[in-house]
Formats: sequence, structure tokens, C-alpha cells
Amino acid sequence: MFDPVSIVVAALIIMGLFFMIVGPIGLIRLPDLFTRAHASGKCDTLGQALILLGLIVYEGFTFDAVKLLLLIIFLYIMSPTATHAIVRAAHILKYHAWKPGEERE
Amino acid sequence: MKGIERIISIIVTAGILFGFWILLSAHFDTFHLAAGAACAIIVALLSHDLLFTRPVRGGFFTLLHFTHYCGWLFIEIWLAGLDVAYRVLHPDLPIDPQVVTFDTPFTDDIVRTVFANSMTLTPGTITIDVSGSTYTVHALTSEAARDLTEGRSIEKRVHRIFPET
Repeated sequence: MFDPVSIVVAALIIMGLFFMIVGPIGLIRLPDLFTRAHASGKCDTLGQALILLGLIVYEGFTFDAVKLLLLIIFLYIMSPTATHAIVRAAHILKYHAWKPGEERE
Repeated sequence: MKGIERIISIIVTAGILFGFWILLSAHFDTFHLAAGAACAIIVALLSHDLLFTRPVRGGFFTLLHFTHYCGWLFIEIWLAGLDVAYRVLHPDLPIDPQVVTFDTPFTDDIVRTVFANSMTLTPGTITIDVSGSTYTVHALTSEAARDLTEGRSIEKRVHRIFPET
């Protein structure tokens, strides 16, 4: 009924979902663009990677699993680059970074 | 890059592209393999100079350091996610964001990119801007900021896989 593989798969995907939920919660709770970029940039990368890892375990040792592994690698190159692009744009536009004690937006 | 180096670079690029083609197509009949080989050679002829912009140095030890670095980065990504999750879900929102500017000894484009991306993936820091070898970084906590300017743990790691820069 519950074989070890599906338990591992379910655990990985549930952990991934946890981080995917924490990302948006951070987006709401944190005070400004820069700190929000931390939440979306890091939690989403980890969440997506965990879900893909779960799918790799589910798939076993096949070509599709290798493709999913490549997706994780590309995600790890793409995600910090995208986060950096957004944050850099804000920096060039002289967006004010929130400091402790200030009113949140 | 010319002469023998150019030919080697074309062959290696074509080989990598063909391997990637096989990986993605997963078909082993003559038609798919021939089409893949033709595409790989054409693309390699047109754009081999994009993959190898300079003669490749380093050997086994560079590879070893790189593997070690990837393992370390994998753990750091975990810690980064857990760290942000903890701070976001904590009722008091324990953050102390600050913008830090500091210098590094890196001059090579690839090394600077690796360093910037590593910083964004590790806990509490995001690279805002790079000009020359000066980095502007947004840190979520004061501990993360202090590690960048004093501890310099990421810088040391990157320095170990690219010792020549």
C-alpha cells in the first residue's frame, strides 16, 4: 500500500509545497522590494527544486529523470539571475531600501 | 583563437551539443541521430566561440574543487530557504536589512558571475550590482552583512575553485 518510494516522493513534494507557500507569505509580510526579493528568490528556488526532485525519485532512472535534473540545474542558474535583474533595476531607479524602525509600505 | 585551437573548440562544442541532443530526444534511430549530428555541427561552426571564450585551463583538481563547491552550494541553498522561512514565519519578523558595498579580487567574467550567483543563493544576501570587482549586496540580517565584509566565506570558496584569479 505505502511503499518506501512513494513515501519519499510525497515527503519531498510536501516539503517543496511548504517552501512554495512560505514565499508568497514572505511577499506579504516583508516591508519592501529588496526584502521581498529574498523571500521569493530563495524559497521558490528551493521549493521548485524539491518538487522536481520528488518527481525524479518517482520517475526512477530514465531519460525523463535526466531531463528533470537538467531543469533543476537551469533553475539554479536562472533564479538568482532573475532576482538579481529585478533588484538591480530597483537599485538603478534609486529605490529606497527599508531600514528597521521605518514605516512599512 | 585560431588554427588547431579553433578546430578543437568546434569539435568539443559539437560533441557537447550532440550529447545534449541525445539526452533530450532519447531516440536512437538513424534519422534522429543524423539530424542531431547535422544540427550539432552547424551550431558548433556558428557559435563555438561562445562556449570557449579563452583556452581552458585547469584539470582534475579544478574539477574536484568544483564538485566540492556544488555540494556546498546545495547545502547553502537549503539553509537559505530554511533561514528565510524562519524569519518570514516568526511573529516578530526578525530582520535587519542593510546595503553593503565591498571589493573583491575577482577580474574574470565567469568568476564574477559565479560569485554573484552564489551570493544570491546563500542565506541572507542578494547581489544588487556589480561594477568592476566592486559588489553592492543587500543583506537581510546584520550577521549576513558581517560575513561578507569580514568572514568572506563565499569569497574564499570561489577563490579555491578558480585559484588563478
